[in-house]
Amino acid sequence: MVSNNSKTLPLDGLRVLDLTVVWAGPYATQIFGDWGAEIIRVESIKHFPSTTRGMVMRPTKEMVSQKGSLSAYPDRDPGKRPWNRTASFNAHARNKKSMTVDMTKPEGQKVFDDLLRISDAVIENNVPVSMDRINVNWERVSKINPKIVMLRMPGFGLDGPYENYRTFGSHMAGVVGHYSVMGYEGESPDMTGNTLTADAAGGAGAALALAAGIRYRNHNDKGIFIEIATAENFANYLGDRILDYTVNNRLASPVGNRDLSDAPQGVYRCKGEDRWIGISVNSDTQWEALCKVIGRNDLSKDPKYSTSSQRHSLHDTIDQLIESWSEGMDAQIAMKDLQSAGIPAGVVMNEEDAFSDPHLDEIGFWETLEGAETGKNAYTSTLWKTALTDRSHKRAAPLLGEDNEYVYKELLGFDEDKYAEFESTGHIGMDYDI
Amino acid sequence: MVGIMPLDDVTVVDLTHYTAGPFATRILSDYGANVIKVERPITGDPARMLPPFYEDEPGLERSGLFLWLNTNKRSITIDLKKDEGRDLVLELVKNSQILVENFSPGTMDALGLSPTKLLEANPKLIITSLSNYGQTGPYRDYIGNELNLYGMGGSMIGAGNVDHEPLKTAGRMVNYHAGYVAALASALGLYTVEERNEQGDHIDVSIFETATHSIDMRLNRLMGYQYTGRLAGRQSQASAVGSGVHPCADGYFLITGGARFIPNIIKMIGMDELLDQEEWSTPEGRAHPDRIDEFLPHLIPWTLARTKEEIRKEAEKHAVLGGPMNTIEDLMNNEQFIDREYFQEIDHPETGPIKYPGYHFTLHRGEDQPMPDRNRAPLLGEHSEEILAEIGVSKSEIEKLKTKNVI
Repeated sequence: MVSNNSKTLPLDGLRVLDLTVVWAGPYATQIFGDWGAEIIRVESIKHFPSTTRGMVMRPTKEMVSQKGSLSAYPDRDPGKRPWNRTASFNAHARNKKSMTVDMTKPEGQKVFDDLLRISDAVIENNVPVSMDRINVNWERVSKINPKIVMLRMPGFGLDGPYENYRTFGSHMAGVVGHYSVMGYEGESPDMTGNTLTADAAGGAGAALALAAGIRYRNHNDKGIFIEIATAENFANYLGDRILDYTVNNRLASPVGNRDLSDAPQGVYRCKGEDRWIGISVNSDTQWEALCKVIGRNDLSKDPKYSTSSQRHSLHDTIDQLIESWSEGMDAQIAMKDLQSAGIPAGVVMNEEDAFSDPHLDEIGFWETLEGAETGKNAYTSTLWKTALTDRSHKRAAPLLGEDNEYVYKELLGFDEDKYAEFESTGHIGMDYDI
Repeated sequence: MVGIMPLDDVTVVDLTHYTAGPFATRILSDYGANVIKVERPITGDPARMLPPFYEDEPGLERSGLFLWLNTNKRSITIDLKKDEGRDLVLELVKNSQILVENFSPGTMDALGLSPTKLLEANPKLIITSLSNYGQTGPYRDYIGNELNLYGMGGSMIGAGNVDHEPLKTAGRMVNYHAGYVAALASALGLYTVEERNEQGDHIDVSIFETATHSIDMRLNRLMGYQYTGRLAGRQSQASAVGSGVHPCADGYFLITGGARFIPNIIKMIGMDELLDQEEWSTPEGRAHPDRIDEFLPHLIPWTLARTKEEIRKEAEKHAVLGGPMNTIEDLMNNEQFIDREYFQEIDHPETGPIKYPGYHFTLHRGEDQPMPDRNRAPLLGEHSEEILAEIGVSKSEIEKLKTKNVI
């Protein structure tokens, strides 16, 4: 439905209304926006979405000097409008547009209706009760635009006893049993840390659901309502462990970095602070090669270590042998040496490694964008590459309300008077008014 | 014309094996695609011989991993190293929209199935290649597995505890995630061909890249570093007041605390009077590091007196961010998952009926059109003749292919 294209991208012409927050939902619209869809973030200057545009609206300089990436701002300065400068928002919001409207008011509801009429899809990932408050549901949406695709991403589903249980990905991971598999062997689970994989899974799934829904719409000439319960979606990432339980009644337990059958496998200390390498041996040949690389050729034919199960039972001893070699090695050199010898090995890459990685650099993993309030920085490019599509990001993440003129005037036909009226009534703005 | 499911007029030639690739095509099949799983004769997909096995007894049709990853697919055995085998694949793609493969880079070319050859056979074909490090770049031929791909790409450097080595995530998540992305990339490729009338294309999905690019702690820490120059490293869960994995009556419960959320936690455990005390009454006071240890003697006796599910209900009521540290058994017995009939029972000749994880997402097409039941994974080569007949291979030709060990 969008007509003002310059460069053709696969999803040019699709318009998606984006009510997503935090990470999982925004990841889906990031992917659609990267491939050309017009993503319009529907935001409100009357509501600060915590953890979406920063943990708090106006953190002090002191607060952002603390550790923790959720409060990362360029040069550790939250600036005049911190919500435009927070790293976790800018990580996903490139290519998206931002408009503001207060949907708790009737005229705000009408603006949303008018946007629904000219959009292909609408997506949200809030706890259901929040959407009830602003009357966003399929019944209303489909009445206004019967050909729209609506995607809702509640944590646990739109019904059932957990319907309004508000969580982050880490808590969903707890519910589905993630931490009964991930963890150090023999340690209490408070040592595990959290990685929030459920958000990544949710975002990829939501983007696929959106693609499937749009195909359904295009071929059947009618809209469709799709529900992705983020926790249910993520439970699939534990599928083989679930099958181990349903097939054999066996409960998974954490094994740290080890493999269930092959040995050795582990993460070993290298030279320098917090430097590590992951090494796996998946065959006897690889074991012999490893012995050579770590300078212990004498062990390669030692019958004590000749099979995987023998090596498993002597895993602690082998770990010490490997580490007494690796701790004197530069992690990058160790990786190259091991890979050249045919052994699966990789540096546990920190942030600096990723930004200076020769492979990521060569394949064009990073793209530089200049944001009006963030300056020049490198951001991820697309999640995958294709042979034919020549593309680059169109713009940096939007400032709050940056596209109000475009949305209200160009798309909805507001004249200056009406626009000014919406500015004075808490709908249009670029600063939170709370 | 699409009928019941969004992809039910789409045919996928599936040259994948092990985990990431089959995860991708399984999802496409969930949403209607006709997935033709091409397996090598006699041994089939190596995942058939990976645990967990039914009754712990190995067998081609007994791997829980394989059975779960290959529901709804049909299996044909083809020896790709034989010319006739290659020609059969080129014949199959003529009637297909998508081909997915996860061989080591270069293998498809060596088999005579390069993108050029495939696009010659079907100019509208979407070819999705899924590999550890992608089809180009210095690491292309590196050996990858779950551990080192998570270490290089994923959030491993930040996973685990500050006092320990970095910790691998559960199971095969890095592989599965890349598979999910490959399914998504294939679907968007299909959109390009159908809606924009473009030619087919070659999609390159790399596990290393999808891990680095996942919106989990990794991406956020990368951006955090970019903005501040700060390496995040690993932290202790108990790095903010109230935060942590706390022991309770039947296990552990994860709570996300911090200065912002702690008032709700204080109310949840019925210690409202604490908020009247000077050091707890202001946000600055609550953010002071001393509060972390001071709070535990209030919190832990309360959690120890309650089960995970009891705490969860209280957390929901008081808008406390938290979740139970469940086992897989807890998940199978979870009232929400049971209420929504998430798990599906699928029968199989070797294993009998077994429960599988349910759909990733649900299409609401009206009360009269629930999500369909899935079919069990195919036996090795179960559909060879049926599939060959569909592309017009005669009975006598099929017999010839059999005697030559092509199928």
